[in-house]
Amino acid sequence: MDNTIIQQGRFTSTGASVRVPIRSDVDWMAVYNVTQAAASQTTAIGVKYYWQRGFPAGAKWSTLKSNSANAANLEAYATTLGFTLFDTSLQTVGSLNATITAISGAAIPVVSNSGTNGIAVGDVVRITNAVGGAQLGGIDFTVGYNTLTSGTFSLDYMPQIVASTTGDWRKINFQPLFYPRRRVITNITTASQAVVTLSVVHQYIVGQSIRMVVPDVFGMTEMDGILANIVAVDETPTTGNTITIDVDSSAFTTFAFPLTAISPFTPAETVPVGEDTSSALALGADILADATVNRGSIGMMLQGGSSCPAGADNDVIYWVAGKSFGVDNL
Amino acid sequence: MRALLGANAYTILDNIEGEDKFGTAPVRDAYFALTHTDMTKDLDAVDGFIQKNQYPSPMNALRSEWGAIGNLRFLVSSIGSITKNASNLNSDVYNIFCVGMEAYACIEQDGYSAQFIYRPPVYDGPLALNASVGYKFSEAPRILNDLWVLNLRSTLS
Repeated sequence: MDNTIIQQGRFTSTGASVRVPIRSDVDWMAVYNVTQAAASQTTAIGVKYYWQRGFPAGAKWSTLKSNSANAANLEAYATTLGFTLFDTSLQTVGSLNATITAISGAAIPVVSNSGTNGIAVGDVVRITNAVGGAQLGGIDFTVGYNTLTSGTFSLDYMPQIVASTTGDWRKINFQPLFYPRRRVITNITTASQAVVTLSVVHQYIVGQSIRMVVPDVFGMTEMDGILANIVAVDETPTTGNTITIDVDSSAFTTFAFPLTAISPFTPAETVPVGEDTSSALALGADILADATVNRGSIGMMLQGGSSCPAGADNDVIYWVAGKSFGVDNL
Repeated sequence: MRALLGANAYTILDNIEGEDKFGTAPVRDAYFALTHTDMTKDLDAVDGFIQKNQYPSPMNALRSEWGAIGNLRFLVSSIGSITKNASNLNSDVYNIFCVGMEAYACIEQDGYSAQFIYRPPVYDGPLALNASVGYKFSEAPRILNDLWVLNLRSTLS
């Protein structure tokens, strides 16, 4: 293992940060932006980045390129917008923000917060202590696809609620380790094939089987305990995040998300349990899609953007990562 | 319990018959309830909780067992499941998995169960400077019948 390059790879940047899974707990990493390095640069721009164990989270050593005759400062060290180690198995929740000032009664509820929320589109947020909105307490929501500013974010897949006032939130920066994942139900239609809306981007695929858990407080008690097969999925970020199941709910009692006064209650959930092989074959789905897979990983998060390791949109990035025989950071 | 009984889940442990011993109580045949060690204080406070030292024959209790309520015998572990900050009041939520017999299984891989591997320094190089130690395993745990697994969720008092 002595100074071994343990892994290398390449990706094309979207401008967003990139998580690179790397085995063996990396000790050093170098990143090369071949797109920017191949171009003539008037203003110095980062083309090579380096990190080694001991750098603080987010740090980077940058090599910049400029074709200008008097270019200077072509090497730079910064403690932000660089490399950050990650370990998804740690399942560490984000810090508590007691900044909610209101949750609207709009068709898609919008949370207003004081200060700057720092949320990105598609982040997962857990709401707690919502005064007048206790039914949201402890539930994770994908946010920001419909409304996102520094002071507001939408609960994209939550049905309309009675407007509430103050509360807390925190970011949930991880997914449960094992896929497919249990998800909280926010709505179920009454139809010949019920359409189920889930609070967080579900990542289910057609053919998987789920056990429906619908406590009495949600009204649609007929659905509770039913083993259902997923026959269609809708992952449209703004309006979708639904699954269609092979359950005729047209004569079922209407599903209604409980009001704040009912809290606490057990959330309605989908629990993945396997797959109906014949249904999967009929739908052209992978017959091994019911496998339960540990999706935990360790590796490096590369910050996206110009003069950052993960680069700007369409930059081609090469990287190598290695292990040192010993690390003596005194 | 009605959910497990209604799903025809078999209990895992046999009953412990009552005996003429002061301070003891018979224990029903039971399902396992698997939870975190943090729950022990709250379990002690549950009405009808039977500590394992109150079993007619405590030697029949498992090492990790804490006690019994009704048809549940609680096994505790410091790595029991916790969902952090998941209650409405920001408290940690403890998961108590109640399981019947053969609710889940771990499928053995022939010749590839857990191995603890030690290599003495002689394998490292001519100067035999460095030993190594590690482990590897492959396993396929699987819920066999999801109706035989329940998750009771609780915060601490």
